[in-house]
Amino acid sequence: MAEDILALIKENVIQGRVTRDDEGFDEGLVGQAGVSELAKEALAQGVSSQDIIKLGLSEGMDIVGQKFEAKKYYLPDMLASAKAVGAVMEILEPYLTRSNIKPKGKIIMATVKGDFHDIGKNIVSILLRGAGYMVKDLGNDIDPQVIVAAVREEKPQFLGLSALLTSTMLRMKDTIQALTEGGVRDKVKVIIGGVGTSEEFAQSIGADGYGADGFQAVRVVDKLNTSRKD
Amino acid sequence: MLVIGEKINASNRSVAEAIARRDREFVASLARAEADAGADFININSGMKNGSQEYEAETMEWLVEVVQGATDKPLAIDSEVASLIEAGLGKYQGERLIINSVTAEPERLASIGSLAAEHHAWLVALAMTNGIPSSVEERLDACEQIMAYLTRLGFTAEQIFFDPLILPIAVDSTQGIITLKTLEQIKSRYPGVKTVLGLSNISYGLPRRGLVNRAFLLMAACAGLDAVILNPLDTKMMSLIKVADMLMGKDASCRGYMRAHQKGILVD
Repeated sequence: MAEDILALIKENVIQGRVTRDDEGFDEGLVGQAGVSELAKEALAQGVSSQDIIKLGLSEGMDIVGQKFEAKKYYLPDMLASAKAVGAVMEILEPYLTRSNIKPKGKIIMATVKGDFHDIGKNIVSILLRGAGYMVKDLGNDIDPQVIVAAVREEKPQFLGLSALLTSTMLRMKDTIQALTEGGVRDKVKVIIGGVGTSEEFAQSIGADGYGADGFQAVRVVDKLNTSRKD
Repeated sequence: MLVIGEKINASNRSVAEAIARRDREFVASLARAEADAGADFININSGMKNGSQEYEAETMEWLVEVVQGATDKPLAIDSEVASLIEAGLGKYQGERLIINSVTAEPERLASIGSLAAEHHAWLVALAMTNGIPSSVEERLDACEQIMAYLTRLGFTAEQIFFDPLILPIAVDSTQGIITLKTLEQIKSRYPGVKTVLGLSNISYGLPRRGLVNRAFLLMAACAGLDAVILNPLDTKMMSLIKVADMLMGKDASCRGYMRAHQKGILVD
């Protein structure tokens, strides 16, 4: 019974359907329960929120990631799935606080000083949340010192930096420098992304990782997260 | 419809590499290709490398010189940094000129706005202050501030090219309409001003982007678009621009369309 409903949640994450009125990636699904109806039903059946996240949401998003990489899914498909995950996480939130379940890790996200592009950063934040991380999004145009203060205060394991302009890419370097000067560089793994950035660029400014798209960002964080625990 | 060719932009990797090694022929042939394909203006974006301010200014000067040597088309000097625009202007000998661009940010309006006023340039003004607003109202607020400031600097309406801006439709399904409504409002509020768009952002993240871009060009033309920043080597798009002008009543006796047909450059 629990397996059935978890499989349905997973399937509807893949389809990107929040409620029963939503269209999915495939035709003919309108009228069938979406993830929010299914998640409530699962909780009523006594399925744990942990199982919903792991076996429903995360496994569903893994498949979405594969489809995206295979070019079967495009940005709107991926965002519909991410929205479905977000809707379930909202339903689960009170249960998660009550049951004292720890997230996989904590991540601070920011678009650097002078840059106001937030679409990419928001997509990465959604996907990281869907993958079970706690994400604090500082927003756009964030001063290095504000980021340093947030790292000190929030003690995240990861910091995600975004920049889309050739003129602001180097602000990521300044931010990493500020972390060093603030004595917190070794407290946090820094992952960067944005048009114009690359693996080589990430290395050249002393970042720990680079994500070419949202799914890659999740994979890089997962990988760093595992090695952190070893 | 005025076509501003976008190819000479350092955010394109091959262009950035050509600029870095000062490959005169690469840049010149790109400019010639854009001009031959029907671009009215050649946009020049020299980018920003890790280098010093002098290096960046020198890069802009070099680009202006090379492109001017390759074609008679006027230039659009594209930077968000006033000192770089100034460097480009120093080398520019043409009469007509576009400066691309300002926002409603007061510092940029003051510095870049004054440069444009001094050189009697056409000025692209983005309907934003910091970050692209997601609503029509906020974009129009930015236009209002820009309009007030530029009018004080002595700009005529005809000198101002408002860009109503585009956010990807894949991220928010209302963004196409928001751009079109902003465009219509700008045209009705400020008689005489021009409008311009960089089209390709609309299709970000979608398959068959060219199809989406072309459809949106027609819709924007209908809403009053006057100029477009795009790749003029895209023959399907350039054909559609001829069609848009004709269908919007800007092509008496269909001369422009028929001439394009005679030249064999219409592609459907």
